[in-house]
Amino acid sequence: MTALLLHPRITLAARFILGAVFIAAALPKLADPPGFMRALWNYLLFPGWALGPMALVVPWLELLCGLALIAGLWPRAAAGWLGLMLLAFVAALSINLARRHPVDCGCFGSHPGPPRSEPERLAALRWDILRDLGLLLLAAQILAATRKP
Amino acid sequence: MLRSAPTLLHASGLLAAAVLCAALGNALAGPERQVRWFQAAAPILAPAPPAPVPAPAPPPKAEPAREPARGPEAPRPDRAHRFPPDPATVIRDISSRDAWDAFILKAPFLDARRTAEFAEGHVPGAWSASVWEAAPEARITEFEARANPGMKDPIVLYCGGGDCQDSRLLADKLVALGYRNLLIYRDGFPDWAAKGRPVARGAER
Repeated sequence: MTALLLHPRITLAARFILGAVFIAAALPKLADPPGFMRALWNYLLFPGWALGPMALVVPWLELLCGLALIAGLWPRAAAGWLGLMLLAFVAALSINLARRHPVDCGCFGSHPGPPRSEPERLAALRWDILRDLGLLLLAAQILAATRKP
Repeated sequence: MLRSAPTLLHASGLLAAAVLCAALGNALAGPERQVRWFQAAAPILAPAPPAPVPAPAPPPKAEPAREPARGPEAPRPDRAHRFPPDPATVIRDISSRDAWDAFILKAPFLDARRTAEFAEGHVPGAWSASVWEAAPEARITEFEARANPGMKDPIVLYCGGGDCQDSRLLADKLVALGYRNLLIYRDGFPDWAAKGRPVARGAER
C-alpha cells in the first residue's frame, strides 16, 4: 500500500498538479500586489508592518516553488514551502470561518464580478479550506516520496 | 538532522530568490502596482468597525429639515450648515441622498478605490486616493494643495459599496492629519451609478 502511494508516477503527477496550481495562483497576485495586500488586510490577522512584505514575497515564493516542482529542481524544499504555506492558508481561513468573518480568499487574485452575499462567501471559504487540504496531501506525498532512507 | 541540511539550504535559496524577485519587481512596477514594503503609519490596521453600527443614524432626522432648503426659491444652504462638524463623530456614514446634496453643494469627494476602478468611472471632480497603492500620502497632499479644504469642512469619501472598508481606512488617515468632518458614503460608487447620477471617466478628475 505504502509502495503504491509513494509510486514515482504518483509523485510526478503530484509535482505537476501542485506546481501548476501554485503558478496559476501566483500570476494574478504578481500582477496586482496592492489588491493582494488588501485581501491580506481583510483577514484581520496580520500586523500592519507585515502586510507589505507578505504581499510582495508570498506570490514570488509560490511561483518559484511551483516552477521548481515542475522542473524537478529541489522538489523537497519546494514542496516543503508549499506545504508550510498551505498550512498557513488553512489556519487563516479556518480562523475567519470560525469567527464568521467572510473573507475573500484572495488565493487566485481578487474575486471578479459583483459582490457576493455573506453565506455565499462563507460557503466559498469552506471549499477553499477543502481545496487547500487536498493540495496539502499532494505536498505530503512529495515530501514522503523524496525522503532519503 | 544532517540529512535535512541540503533541503534547508535549498529552502533558504528559494526564499532568497523570492525576496530578490519581489524587490526587483516592486522597484520596476508603476505606482498603481507598487506596494510600500513597510507601512509607515498604523491606521491601516485599525480594526474595521462593524458596518451596521454607524449606519442608521442620519436619514430620518435629516429628511424634514432638508426639504424646504431644496425648494426652487429657497436659498442654497452652505455646505458647512448642511453638514456641520460633530465633535463626537468625526467619521460618520451618510445616505445616498446626503451624498447627492454634498455633491450639489460642491463638497470635495475622495475616491478610495483602486486607480483602475477610478478610471472606469467616478463621481465627477472626485480625487483618486487608493489606500493600497504605493503613495496614498502623496495623493492626499495633492488633494490638500489643490482643494485646500478646511479641517472642519465636510469631505465625502466613498469606495465600492457593500462591505468595502477602503473609505474607512482613508478616513482614518485623514483624521490623523486633523480633519474632523468626514462623511462616508457607504453605498459608494455602485449606488451612485445605479441612480443615474453623472459619472466621469478616465484618470483625470
